[in-house]
Amino acid sequence: MKVLVAVKQVASLDEDFEIRADGKDVEADFLLRDLNEWDDYSLEEAVKIREAATTPVEVVAVCIGPDDADEALRKCLAKGADRAIRVWDDAMLGSDSIAIARVIAAVARREQPGLLFAGVQSADHAFASTGIAVAAFLDWPHAAVITQLAYTPGAAHAVVRRELEGGVLHEMRIDCPAVLTIQLGINTPRYASLRSIKQAAAKPIEVLAHADLGIADSEVGEGGSLSRVRRMYVPEKGRAQMIEGSIEEQAARLAQLIEERAGGAA
Amino acid sequence: MIRDPTAVTRVLFEDFAPAAIAAFYVVAFAAVTVFCFGVYVEVRKYRRGSAADVDGRLLARFQAMIGTVLSHRTVAHRDRAAGAAHRLIFYGFVLLFLGTATITLDYDLLGPLFGVHFWHGAFYLWFSLVLDVAGVLLTGGLLYMMYRRGWLKPPKLDYTRPDRQPGDPDYDRSGYRREDWAFLCTLLVIVATGYLLEAARLVWLEARPDVWAYRWWSPAGAALAEGLRAAGMSAAAGGALRTGLWWFHGLLALVFIALIPFTKVKHILTAAGSLLLRDPLAAQRLPRVPEQQQRAGAQYITDFSWKQLLSLDACTKCGRCHEVCPARAVGAPLSPRDVILSLREFANRTLESATLPEQAELDVHGKGPGQVAMETLWSCRTCMACVEVCPVAIEHVPVIVQMRRKLVEEGQMDPQLKRTLQTIHKTGNSFGESKRKRAAWTKALPFAVKDARQEPVDVLWFVGDYASFDPRNQKVTQGLAWLLREAGVDFGILYDGESNAGNDVRRVGEEGLYEVLATSNIESLSAASFKTIVTTDPHSYNTIRNEYPDFGGRYEIEHYTTLLLRLLQEGRLNIARQLGLRVTFHDPCHLGRFNKGYEAPREILRLLGCELIEMGRCRANSFCCGAGGGRIWMPDPVGADRPAHNRMREAAAISGLQVYVVSCPKDLTMFEDALKATGNEGRFVVRELIELVREALAHRQAQGAPGVAA
Repeated sequence: MKVLVAVKQVASLDEDFEIRADGKDVEADFLLRDLNEWDDYSLEEAVKIREAATTPVEVVAVCIGPDDADEALRKCLAKGADRAIRVWDDAMLGSDSIAIARVIAAVARREQPGLLFAGVQSADHAFASTGIAVAAFLDWPHAAVITQLAYTPGAAHAVVRRELEGGVLHEMRIDCPAVLTIQLGINTPRYASLRSIKQAAAKPIEVLAHADLGIADSEVGEGGSLSRVRRMYVPEKGRAQMIEGSIEEQAARLAQLIEERAGGAA
Repeated sequence: MIRDPTAVTRVLFEDFAPAAIAAFYVVAFAAVTVFCFGVYVEVRKYRRGSAADVDGRLLARFQAMIGTVLSHRTVAHRDRAAGAAHRLIFYGFVLLFLGTATITLDYDLLGPLFGVHFWHGAFYLWFSLVLDVAGVLLTGGLLYMMYRRGWLKPPKLDYTRPDRQPGDPDYDRSGYRREDWAFLCTLLVIVATGYLLEAARLVWLEARPDVWAYRWWSPAGAALAEGLRAAGMSAAAGGALRTGLWWFHGLLALVFIALIPFTKVKHILTAAGSLLLRDPLAAQRLPRVPEQQQRAGAQYITDFSWKQLLSLDACTKCGRCHEVCPARAVGAPLSPRDVILSLREFANRTLESATLPEQAELDVHGKGPGQVAMETLWSCRTCMACVEVCPVAIEHVPVIVQMRRKLVEEGQMDPQLKRTLQTIHKTGNSFGESKRKRAAWTKALPFAVKDARQEPVDVLWFVGDYASFDPRNQKVTQGLAWLLREAGVDFGILYDGESNAGNDVRRVGEEGLYEVLATSNIESLSAASFKTIVTTDPHSYNTIRNEYPDFGGRYEIEHYTTLLLRLLQEGRLNIARQLGLRVTFHDPCHLGRFNKGYEAPREILRLLGCELIEMGRCRANSFCCGAGGGRIWMPDPVGADRPAHNRMREAAAISGLQVYVVSCPKDLTMFEDALKATGNEGRFVVRELIELVREALAHRQAQGAPGVAA
């Protein structure tokens, strides 16, 4: 039995960042990269299944991204993933979340996992669509925002619990194989010591190109995506202004402003 | 003058049947055999530990050990009465042992083998006198120790454990108490029967001038003999008593020898061994994890080195570490003494058997008997107070950090600490700030601070996390920048090339992250051009000074206090006015105890015209603020006392105190909080030494410096 965990190397903004010259993203120098927080929880859930199992379970982490995403995969290996796969080639640049899901689905077809985990969303782009789209491509059942999971490796179904609005819990049984998107707080992710991350560097990461998975060029990259980034920008700040001067001056200025605004509305 | 010197000696086996003499030798050999077997078992136990990193300067080590043992320097350290009493016992015991060895040499070796005898005549008389005095010394020491245990009852001799609950099997360690008393009583009985035996022999042989005429060479024995005679004892009765006592005294002494390796008496050997193997930088420079080693840290008892296993056996439960431990003082579940004793008991149970138990039974982590709980390990501040005070050179800090390394590998730590370590990994600092903001504090200065990576400087200032990012400390940092500029020091910083120095990360037990930080800093430092390093942070100071060399970073580094002192003495900084403040000074662990930087800050305070009132616990005995060992990244239990509060109350007892002076960024944070929490705000203030220096120089900075808030 195998659990496939889809993970992403997300970016967070450094202090005083700058937007890239083409206006479509933040300049890479100003990004701090790390494993997506939700994926930390889904990987932990997979490792917990393996640790509790009486039959062999393999945890495979898969990531779609360039070389520097190896860092996220190494963290997964350090935390207990048995294997790691990274899919990337230059043609995949510009893929939207659905195109990414298509690639993950292809990996799932090859790996044949009993369960496929993804985080509810990524901390940077927050589409919250990749996991669900993978289920659609595979035509597997899916459940989103899982806060508790009961599953015995090899079982025909899993029981999951989800939190709904108003504090209501939603418990459902889902046939396997299935795609589950995991919510924060489902467990306590373990600490990956720097030593274990270093030792994980010795474990190989399998690197594939989209063609290796039988995906056509037209199905990846901007060409294979139905959405595109137009621009990324920081909205102009609000136009609050301090009114200086003595109390009388401030009151007079304030009255004048109200007059202007009210007058304009009338 | 002695008529026939060979006749003036002591009868040994006179009137004994050959069978009795033979029986004595059988018992004696049996005792020595048991002793040797015990030593063998212990040595086998130590050899089951891992390799130890001990340098080979054996002669120098040996000389130092002999010096320490003979002077009793460490035993008398901060407990002069116990030191004096132990000195009496030690010298009494050694002399009596040498005396017995002399008899063996004469009677059993040189005599039978070469027909040479020397144990008679004047030599014998002096021998008698010396041994009689030795017995008195030993008795005096033993009686004082009994008085101490039975009546004085110092709290440090209370073996009740802070890391166990009442009702736990090893809660009060009462077995040790019984052993202590058995040890003292047995030795006392041996000495007392020795004197009585001597007196009985004198009464028995009162008719022999070669014995009786010289009786006062054994003054205590002779006085006792006179007493026995006055009480009406006849020579025959003396002879009968002598025979009985001879066997009792002899057998008891032999049993004592046989039991040395099995009881606390073994410290006479293990303490010497531990002192011989002492690492003077045990806490300052923690051991590296070998590249090839699979597991980091100590999980099994066999992960400790043979040297550490030996030093566990050196502990005599003197309780000094227990007394000075800041964690123990505030009720945390840690006593360095109990960590050592637990591990010792664990080692004895698992490693003394003929074959090793299976590995699972060797795991020292947990709450079982002899195991150490993670709460205990995480309570440690690695302040080194225990290592400094230990009379037998037990090195607690590396033991605790090695056990923490295993907890870190398993992620068994406080969630806040876990987050901090991840933050440090991600951003290179514990504040989670962008690397780019590390030098943001320089923006408030009207001059630019050089980037040592871009242009050569004389002095490279390693700023450290707290001094760089903490808003309160930034003011102090800016203050030092002013002073350096004022003194015309050519200095620069590494800007975003500097990372957390890693001192506390290493003491937390995150060795991998420490290696990353140390390597990254060494890389930045090698890219810069400078002559010396100065730092405001004693923690950075310690690790760069003592630990970076292990990673190839060898630098001349000083704490700012020595640099400022020099600038003041050389007149490059001129004091405009004497402050006339009544102050006390808190020695930071990493500057004082770790690196012996006691004098410079005090000398600066003197130059500033401050009246320094020392706290009871100062210099090597300084009391940790509670932030060390990564504790600054862990929440303290709500409602519990804290080391910083304990320290504030100590300072508050100084009447008329105006300023509590610190010289460490973490101290400033810890003690300003503690000042408020203990309700001392308004009574006195906490100030960095840098701030006082600036105040004393104030007139020269009228040219645009921001004033020091006082």
